[in-house]
Amino acid sequence: MTSSEATVAGAGNSPGSAPAPAGAGQDMPRAVSVLVFFRDRGIFVLWGLLIAVFAFWCSPYFFKVDNALLIANAAALTALFAAGVGIGIMTGVLDLSLPGTAAVASCVCGWVLTHGHATWLGLAAGLATGVVVGMVNGLITIRGFNPIIVTIGTLSVLSGLAAVIAGGYTFPGLTQLEFMGTHRYLKVGDSFAGIPAPVFIVAAVFFVGTIFLTRTRDGIRLMAVGGNAEAVRRAGIHADRYKVLGFVLSGVLASLGGLVSTAVVTEANPNASPQIIFNALTAVALAGVALTGGRGSLPRVLVGALILATISNGLTIRGVQPYWATVCTGALLLGSLLVERLLQTAVSERLMTANLSVHEKKV
Amino acid sequence: MGTPALALSGIELHYGFVRALDGIDFHVEPGEVVGLLGDNGAGKSTLLKVMSGAHRPSHGTIHVHGVEQSFHAPSDAADAGIQMVYQDLSLVEPQDIATNLNLGQETLRRGPLGWLGFVDRKEMRRTSEKELDRLGVRTAPMTRPVEMLSGGQRQVVALARSAIRVNGESQGILLLDEPTAALGYEQTKNVESLIRRMADSGIAIVVVTHDLPLCYEVTDRIVILNRGRKVADLPTAGADRDHIVGWITGSRPSMFAEASA
Repeated sequence: MTSSEATVAGAGNSPGSAPAPAGAGQDMPRAVSVLVFFRDRGIFVLWGLLIAVFAFWCSPYFFKVDNALLIANAAALTALFAAGVGIGIMTGVLDLSLPGTAAVASCVCGWVLTHGHATWLGLAAGLATGVVVGMVNGLITIRGFNPIIVTIGTLSVLSGLAAVIAGGYTFPGLTQLEFMGTHRYLKVGDSFAGIPAPVFIVAAVFFVGTIFLTRTRDGIRLMAVGGNAEAVRRAGIHADRYKVLGFVLSGVLASLGGLVSTAVVTEANPNASPQIIFNALTAVALAGVALTGGRGSLPRVLVGALILATISNGLTIRGVQPYWATVCTGALLLGSLLVERLLQTAVSERLMTANLSVHEKKV
Repeated sequence: MGTPALALSGIELHYGFVRALDGIDFHVEPGEVVGLLGDNGAGKSTLLKVMSGAHRPSHGTIHVHGVEQSFHAPSDAADAGIQMVYQDLSLVEPQDIATNLNLGQETLRRGPLGWLGFVDRKEMRRTSEKELDRLGVRTAPMTRPVEMLSGGQRQVVALARSAIRVNGESQGILLLDEPTAALGYEQTKNVESLIRRMADSGIAIVVVTHDLPLCYEVTDRIVILNRGRKVADLPTAGADRDHIVGWITGSRPSMFAEASA
């Protein structure tokens, strides 16, 4: 997140225009900066550690470009849904209807394609589904209903609708979508097989999403609504519009996730798998995105999804039963909660004393 | 005395059959700090909400700088140059000071990036810093998230934000609801001096508070409400503390006995 990035950056050297020399009681104590760094960036460190461990433990198969691509590809779908859930949570809404949105989007796309329309039309229809679902979720929620209940309701409606659109079957043989599914790009002769299409899509989504949330007015307001909707309203901003926008973004990302999964298997499946949302939530929780909203960052969510994929990949290479992967992930999640709590306590304790000295010296 | 920055006359407000405000006349001059006192339920907060546009009075008129206004929403009052600082702070905790100060009035970048809605963080930090320096409150780097500030620093940021907004228009009006509740001694002193400085720059300030020492410290005039009526309106200098407490509790008859009889 921006503020935390800024904190880390600004803690060492206060902005150039500041008249007071840096370090004159204004800066955070060094210990706090380090703690804040680990609180905000700890997940990157954790991922690095995991990679290092697996690189030795699963050598020589793990630490290779091909395997890295395998992990990236495996993480791609989780990452897309995690971005949807994550943006929702940062805006202060937990959107549980994502699997339903994904199923309906892929079925709408499948229907359009099997009825002989152009590929782009199918994709556009799928994404439009996400927009509509997000709007409906948002417009109901801002009437003062609990977003969790509302989206459970829409999840139920959507999974039914998807089956209705598909007529109880699936839409198989959607080979037109292969370009965004299993196709690989940037192939170099025989030495490099190329990067799978979903990886590009995820990279684009997270890049644009991060820029949007941290650099643009609407993105910053979106995060602010998640942090304190009442404050945003009092500042004269239509906070409700941003809530709806959060739902819409979440819906679009879910439908994109649905379309990419459809493309990978070249079949539109109306089954809304709840597993999607739990994987996504695990990645988001690992990323330390507070459920209370207003906090978190997309790069961390991405690493959260990558960690899940890395663990399952490494354990598979070692021939460990796949069930252990979820055990590990769960344990890691609980462990990260504990560490985060410890860091948070340490930070606030240090700041209490620091603030007192700031007051004596400055104000 | 010139035109009052804010003048209310004959304000009445009914909640069902309950008369929350009963024929209140109230005014505040530019650069003046008026303390609004009263027991719980006396109508202070209600009156403040009428001034901030959150409530519409059943009767009575509101003049801002001599122009009659009727507020349908807080945004109308904000447009007229009235800013309210709430008791529970309206800050976005995970965001930094600069973002909070600029929320709702972000500076966009120049050129194509600005059309896309990109904000100019550097410029926002610079102007925030300048504004805070002008008010004489530089508590922490602009990049510090509000959640890492102490209660006093947060209150200063909240006050400064409103002060910056009313300063945009010439001589705005600031409404403060219990600005020093939950603050320690030293922090209270800081907020007091900030209120004084804001008044000295020409802002009209109304302070609702339970805190008598604060009232003596910062206000020029004290208005006391009891059961929805104004019972006293007197300069702070020379006001007798026992009398004030008497008016607040209702044991002392109103200064305006003939008006309410």
